[in-house]
Amino acid sequence: MGNVDLSSILTLSLFAAALRMATPIIFATMGGIFSSHTGIFNVALEGFMLIGSFFAVLGSVRTGSPYGGLLYAVIACLVAALVFAILHLELKANPIIVGLAMNIVAIGLTNYLLTATFNVWGVYKTDLIIGFQEVQIPLIHQIPIIGELLSGHFPLVYFSFVSVYIVYLVLYKTPFGFHLRSVGENIDAAESIGVNTKRMKYYGLLVSGLLCAFGGTFLSLSYLTMFSEDMTAGRGWLAMAAINFGRMRPVPSMIAGLIFGFADALAVRLQQFGLPSQIVVMLPYLMTVIVLFISAVVAERHKKSLVAKQNKIDIATPLQP
Amino acid sequence: MIKNFFDKAKNSHTWKENLVNLTTQLLNYLIILIIALFIGAVVMFLSGKDPIAAYAALWQGAFGNGYRFADTLDRSVIMILAGIAGSIAFRTNITNLGLEGQLYIGAFAAAWAGFTFTNLPAIVHIPLCMIAGIIGGALWTLPVLYLKMRWKIPELVPTLMLNYIAIRLTDYLIAFPFRDPAAPMAGSPLIAATAKLPKLIKGSTINIGFIIAIVLIFVTYWFLFKTKIGYELRMVGLNQDFAAAAGLPVKRSIFLAMTLSGGVIGLGGALMIQGFFGRFLGGFSSGYGWDGFMIAIIAQNHPFAVFPTALFYGALANGALTMQSVTGVPQAVVAMVKGTLVLFVTVKVFVENIRKGLRKWAM
Repeated sequence: MGNVDLSSILTLSLFAAALRMATPIIFATMGGIFSSHTGIFNVALEGFMLIGSFFAVLGSVRTGSPYGGLLYAVIACLVAALVFAILHLELKANPIIVGLAMNIVAIGLTNYLLTATFNVWGVYKTDLIIGFQEVQIPLIHQIPIIGELLSGHFPLVYFSFVSVYIVYLVLYKTPFGFHLRSVGENIDAAESIGVNTKRMKYYGLLVSGLLCAFGGTFLSLSYLTMFSEDMTAGRGWLAMAAINFGRMRPVPSMIAGLIFGFADALAVRLQQFGLPSQIVVMLPYLMTVIVLFISAVVAERHKKSLVAKQNKIDIATPLQP
Repeated sequence: MIKNFFDKAKNSHTWKENLVNLTTQLLNYLIILIIALFIGAVVMFLSGKDPIAAYAALWQGAFGNGYRFADTLDRSVIMILAGIAGSIAFRTNITNLGLEGQLYIGAFAAAWAGFTFTNLPAIVHIPLCMIAGIIGGALWTLPVLYLKMRWKIPELVPTLMLNYIAIRLTDYLIAFPFRDPAAPMAGSPLIAATAKLPKLIKGSTINIGFIIAIVLIFVTYWFLFKTKIGYELRMVGLNQDFAAAAGLPVKRSIFLAMTLSGGVIGLGGALMIQGFFGRFLGGFSSGYGWDGFMIAIIAQNHPFAVFPTALFYGALANGALTMQSVTGVPQAVVAMVKGTLVLFVTVKVFVENIRKGLRKWAM
C-alpha cells in the first residue's frame, strides 16, 4: 500500500469508470421503477439481468453482432418477465416469492446453459463474442476535462441516461404514465376511472424485463466481453436499494445508482493500489447499506417537519404462502 | 382470548374435512413437482441431453444403495437447519434473506473455535464449536435488526447485502489472518480432532449432526406451537398491528425471531464444518441459505413439513453429483428445478380446483 495520496486515486478516469459501472444499475433501477409504480415490487431484477447477460453472449456468438446479442437478451428477458407476470397476475402467486424464485431459476438456467451450449464451466470467454465498441462523441471529446469524462463510452452508457429521461417523460408527462402510476397509488380509484389495471401491471413487468436486458447486455458485451457464473453480483439488489432511496422517482434513483457505480469503480481502483481485493469488493454492498441508512435518517427528519408523505409500496410483503 | 378463538376454529373441522385438506396439499405438491421436473426435462431435451437418463442417475445417486441414502441424509442436515432458520423468521413475517451470510459467519466462528483450542476434551470442544457457530450466525443479524428496529428500514435489501459482505469477509479471513498454506483450496487450518462430530455409520459421511437436526425439528415445533414466546412470534407474524394492539411484545419477538433464525443457520454452518469439511473453506456453501429460503416456503414454515422437503433437497444435492458424473448433464439443472418448484408454490389455482373436486367426491 505505502503512502498513496488521494489525488492519484480520484482521477478523471475513476469518474469515467463510475459512469460505466453505474450503467447496469441504472438500467435495472429504471426497470424496477416502472414495475414499482404499478404496485409490484420486482425483486427479480437480478435474475432478469443475469438472463440478459447470458443470452446477449449467446446471441453475439450466434449472429456475430453485438446488436444480435442485444436482441437475444431482450427476447429472453421479455419471456422471463412474461412468466413472472402470468404467475403473479393470472395464477395469483405471491410476487415476492415468485421474484426470488426467478433469481434462483436464472442462476440455475444460465449455469446449465453455459455448460450445455458452450461446454465450459463457470466462465466463457472467447474471441467469438463480439462486444460493442466505444464511441467518441464528435465535438465533446475535444474538450479537455469533459471530453475525457463523457466521451469514449459504450453506446449503452449513453442510452442508460437517455432511458432515465424516457422513463421520466413516460411516467410523468403522458396520460399512459398517469394511468400506470394510478395503479400503484390507488388501484380501486384507477379501476373506477376505467384503467385496465392488469394490463398496466403487465406493461410494468415487461418494461422492467426490457430494461434489465439492456443492463445485462452491457455487463457481458460492453463492460466485459464474457459471461461468468452469477456475473451480475448483486447489481439487481443495488438497483432495488436505489429505487428505495429515490422513492421510485427516476432522477433521485439514478443518483443513487451513480453512487453505487462510483463505489464499484473505487473498489476496482483501490485493488490496483494493493489493498486486499476481498475487502475492497465489499465497498458497493457496504455503500448500499449506508445509503439506505442515510436515506432513512433523512426521511425521519423530513417526516418530523412535514406531513408524512405516503409511501405506498412496502417491500416487506409477507413471505407466508 | 385470541388463542381460544383459533383453537375453536381448528376443532370445528371434521375428520373428513381434515382429510380433504391434507390430500389437497399432497396432490398440489405432486402437481408442482411434476411441473418442475417436466420443465427441467424440457430444458435438458432442448439442449440435447437425455432427461430420463439424467433423472434415473439422480435417483441412483441419491437412493441407489444404503451408503448413498446415508449420504443423502447427511446432506439434508444443513437443509433441515436452513429450512428451520427460514421458517422461524418467515413465521414472524421477517424476510430474512441473509441466511447465506449468517451461515458463512457461523461456520467460520465454529471453525475458529475448532482450530484455536487444541487441548479440550471432545465433550467440551464439540458443543463449544456449535455455540460459536450459533453466536456467529446470530451476531450477523444484529446490523439488520438495528436498521429495521431503529430506522424502520425493511430487512430485505440489508440482509442480502450482508450476504455478499459475509462471503467476502470470510474470504479475507482465510486469505490473510487465518490462512493455512497447506489447505488444498483457500481455507482455514484444520479443526482439532476433538471438535469433529462422531460418525454414525462407517463408509458414509453421516454423523451425529443428523440426530441434532431431528431433535431440532421437534424443539422448534414445541417452541413455535407450545410456548408463550413462540405464540407471540406467530401472532406478530400474522398481523403486527393487531399483535401490538393486543399488548404482545412486538419488538422483542422480531429481535428473537431474527437472532434465532441466524443462530440456527449458524449452527448448520458449525455442523458442516465439524461433520463434513473439517476446516473452513472459502465459498463452501453452494447456496444453502437459498435452499433454506425455498424449503421454508415449500414447507409453509412448518417444522414437520421442513423434514420431508429438506430430505428431498438433500437427495437432489446428493444425486446431482452422480447425475453430472454419469450422464454429463450439468448439475445446475437441479437448481433450476428447485427454483421452478418455488415459482409455483404460491399458485392457488391447483389447490382450489383439487379441493373443489375432492369435496364433490367425498361429501
